[in-house]
Amino acid sequence: MLSIDAIGKRFGEVTALDGCSFNVERGRMLGFLGPNGAGKTTTMRAIFGLVELDTGAVLWDGRPIGPVERLRFGYMPEERGLYPRMRVREQLAYLGRLHGLNARDADAAASEWLTRLGLADRADAKVVELSHGNQQRAQLAAALVHTPELLVLDEPFAGLDPVAVRTLAQVLRDEAARGVAVLFSSHQLDLVEEICEEVAIIDRGRIVAEGNLDALRRASERRRIALRLDGAPPGWEPEIRGADVVERTNGDLRLLVDRDVDPQAVLAAAERTAPVIGFSYGPPSLAELFLELVER
Amino acid sequence: MSGRRALTLVATREIRERLRSKAFIASTLLILALLAVSAVIGRLFDPQRTFDYAVTAPAPPGLAVALQRAAEPFDEAKVKLHTVDSAQAGRRLLEDDKVDALLLVSNDRLVFRKNVDAQVAAAADAAVRAVRNKLPPEPELTTSTLHPPDDEPGDAAVLVAYAGSLLLFMSLAFYGQWVISGVVEEKNNRVVEVILSAVRPRDLLAGKVIGIGTLGLAQLVLVVGFAVGLLVTGVFDVPASLGADVALVVPWFVLGFALYAVAYAVAGALASNQQNAETAAQPVTYALLTVYFASYIVLAANAEGTLATVLTVFPLTAPLVLPARSALVGVPLWQHALAIVLVLAAIYALVRFAGRVYALGLLHGGSGLGLRAALRIAREN
Repeated sequence: MLSIDAIGKRFGEVTALDGCSFNVERGRMLGFLGPNGAGKTTTMRAIFGLVELDTGAVLWDGRPIGPVERLRFGYMPEERGLYPRMRVREQLAYLGRLHGLNARDADAAASEWLTRLGLADRADAKVVELSHGNQQRAQLAAALVHTPELLVLDEPFAGLDPVAVRTLAQVLRDEAARGVAVLFSSHQLDLVEEICEEVAIIDRGRIVAEGNLDALRRASERRRIALRLDGAPPGWEPEIRGADVVERTNGDLRLLVDRDVDPQAVLAAAERTAPVIGFSYGPPSLAELFLELVER
Repeated sequence: MSGRRALTLVATREIRERLRSKAFIASTLLILALLAVSAVIGRLFDPQRTFDYAVTAPAPPGLAVALQRAAEPFDEAKVKLHTVDSAQAGRRLLEDDKVDALLLVSNDRLVFRKNVDAQVAAAADAAVRAVRNKLPPEPELTTSTLHPPDDEPGDAAVLVAYAGSLLLFMSLAFYGQWVISGVVEEKNNRVVEVILSAVRPRDLLAGKVIGIGTLGLAQLVLVVGFAVGLLVTGVFDVPASLGADVALVVPWFVLGFALYAVAYAVAGALASNQQNAETAAQPVTYALLTVYFASYIVLAANAEGTLATVLTVFPLTAPLVLPARSALVGVPLWQHALAIVLVLAAIYALVRFAGRVYALGLLHGGSGLGLRAALRIAREN
């Protein structure tokens, strides 16, 4: 299990991490969310010793992480990087060997991942000759080639087309099913909602929510109400104390209300205004929860 | 993984990737070709020598023919025999530089003005043997000079000294540039984050320097070996004894490279993301240039002065000055030893410092890390 234990880091006047703590268990996939500059990348780099922490510690199975442990981790940094003029397969094999594989296993693993990620026909191309999407796949393969026990991926979905997103999501699910602890950051909250059961949300260097996504949503003090009226007067909204209009497009109205607001009363008020053709009530979406938690 | 295994992997990758670059192979072939061409041109334009001997009358019969035959192996040198009435007259000719040597056959002596010319002496010796029907090994003639030999190094020694230090300077700068561009490339395209997640910074640094250094050494050994071969086989008109001075370039490349490559690597690590390798390399390259020209000026002014001695053992200048000075005037053993000890100490200190600053610099993106800031952080941690 990966334990981020009350880590703190200052860069000059800026506090990047302020007692950030959370865990990722083996076989689990954790979506790591937070606004830009909240401390996601610093946290991930700290796992690999790329940031010297001021306070706190990063632990693997309860023990401090050293160079030996890191060989069993896979990392995809925020800013992608491979040797541009090195051939893809050789580069993957090289990285595999740096992580302790012997030459034959490294070659085999490199070929296997290239096939699995649909890059087999580009195996002998130089990285610089690959398209942006294929470079992303090569970068992912670089994190996976040595069969790590912990995968740390910084914005792995950024810039991918929908097909590649689906492939990557499947790979991450498979890795988690194999028993790997998977930690990835993302701004694509709908995607995270779809593939993750657990999330940690960081804001200003502190974790503001952590745990099972459904439980977090249900625990929210807010509820979402979506209404579709057939010909409501422009600007109409039900009079509810503390309600926030999240979205308003031709007749569609999305509200966040306090948890104790009676949805039946809202529906009744709407029906008095115009015919209701759509109505839903439930816990806030991940995106709504996120905005609620990191509201400035 | 053990540090040594990681270091070996890093070094092997450097060598393999760079051996594939056509630039490396082309530059090696080009240097060899230039060397061969300069040897051929040197021979083409080498004027035929004439050995001028003065000999007291009467000259032994057959001496002229024997001298001519003995001189032939020396690039088919011609022989001119001046018969003089007395040894006194011969000495006068020698003083006036009209002849190369005075042959006093009855005394078994060969007299030069200041410096003994090995070729002139060898030809005379062989000729006298031939006339007397004697075979080697004992030297037939005793050589002497009218004046004490001066210490001016020969043209060949000067050539070896300056070509050697130029070769060293260029090799250090060239391979240093490879080191820094490798470091800057890794830093700028962020592959260094992936590498450093598995490899300790000092192993990455050492692997890179050793890998590129090995390549540079291989190229230099090839060039120097070729040059020594040309010397020994006599293609270059240079005494073969200078071969040792040429070969001295090789170990001093290793020591000099270890020193300057680590400095280049640190400069690369401290560079900002926007800086390219050339600008980041400037401080080290300028230092190297200064060292090169300072050595040149000091050696040209007085290769035996105190300043030259100091530069021979000072770590930054030793790699360029020591081989050159050795060819020019010779370097005492204690200075060799002291220079090696001091440069090794400097390498050790620099590597220790670099190991700390390298990681800080590499992982510090954006505006780059100034040397002072890096030092401060290194001290704090």
